[in-house]
Amino acid sequence: MKLFHLLRHLFLPHESNNQRAKILHPGSLFLIVLGLVSFQFILGLANRSFPRVLGYAANISPEEVIRLTNQKRVENGLTSLSENSKLSQAALAKGNDMLAKGYWAHFAPDGTSPWNFFLNFGYKYKYAGENLARDFSDPVSAVNAWMSSPTHRENILNPNYQEIGIGVVEGNLAGTDTTIIVQFLGTSLNGETGSISEAKAKGVAATIEPKSSIAPKPTLASTPIPTPVPIPTAAPPQVTTSESAIAFVSPFSSTKGISLLVTGILLMVLSIDFIVVKHKRIVRVGGRTFAHIAYLGMILAVILILKAGQII
Amino acid sequence: MRHFLKHLSHYMVLFGILLAGFAGLILFSYDKAFQIAVASALVLSYVSWGVAHHHLDHDLRLETVIEYLVVAILGFVIIFSLVIRT
Repeated sequence: MKLFHLLRHLFLPHESNNQRAKILHPGSLFLIVLGLVSFQFILGLANRSFPRVLGYAANISPEEVIRLTNQKRVENGLTSLSENSKLSQAALAKGNDMLAKGYWAHFAPDGTSPWNFFLNFGYKYKYAGENLARDFSDPVSAVNAWMSSPTHRENILNPNYQEIGIGVVEGNLAGTDTTIIVQFLGTSLNGETGSISEAKAKGVAATIEPKSSIAPKPTLASTPIPTPVPIPTAAPPQVTTSESAIAFVSPFSSTKGISLLVTGILLMVLSIDFIVVKHKRIVRVGGRTFAHIAYLGMILAVILILKAGQII
Repeated sequence: MRHFLKHLSHYMVLFGILLAGFAGLILFSYDKAFQIAVASALVLSYVSWGVAHHHLDHDLRLETVIEYLVVAILGFVIIFSLVIRT
């Protein structure tokens, strides 16, 4: 019975709460605000103290990104890409370079191109491409975001590519804790010391002919594609950052969940309040419940639509 | 309902504010600073709307202003938290 009275006091207009649910009183709303601010403070603190528990890379594994990429290719009638350990290492190096130099772009501020990373790890390419994503809480969202962008989709569904490498790095990029996914796509020259024909970084509109010491004279994209080399059955070494090993909670998802819960409860209580006050013809001093419903309804719509993650 | 129809113009202004805020937050999702600026403008606009509406309805009180302020700040904290985590 006590619980019933407490719930009625909290959520329904009644004499005990001056005909307005206690949770809607300015004091209670202020406490909710304080609670939300404290939650963010704790989340930030925990993110620094326990990076393996809290992080944006909650569910991002390079294997899953590769699996999903191949799934999209197969769905579109293309062959699957094989994971290449050199590409994975190069992608990881690119991610770490972005964190170290504090940039979010295909080309570093010092002019380093994505193709430098391919070559630095001994991957002499015939075709090369790069897709970047950051702040996604799971690989499905990241791959879907790429597929929704015509240029990134074109990269993923490019029939010229035969191999893939994924690097996932976590760190602070220009003051923001983030997780970056670097997707390197390519076709190697298979030991040829000849030319490099085409390299594409999505977000860069034109085809780029990369500068390279091994390519005195880049050939055209129409260079015949060499016969694919069978991929070794042994799995290439897994490349991930130590921080991205296991993380259980995404700060964005948890913030979104708490926000949805708070807004949902308040909207429900406001709606009940609106109906009860009209029905009982209660006269009271205070703000317009309908206006609060409209305002929080808009907030709810924003919560539902906002998504973490950027791609270039 | 009678109150709503009587103050239809007031509510149209409110819907305009909310729609503009919603559009700003969604369309400029690539610009966090702009999103926070939009959320701040939304707080000011909502409180201003509340004050103006109750003033015109002759029932403006300090408690009412505080109520609008707290509800507006609650919305701001939620949007701000999400924007910094995206």
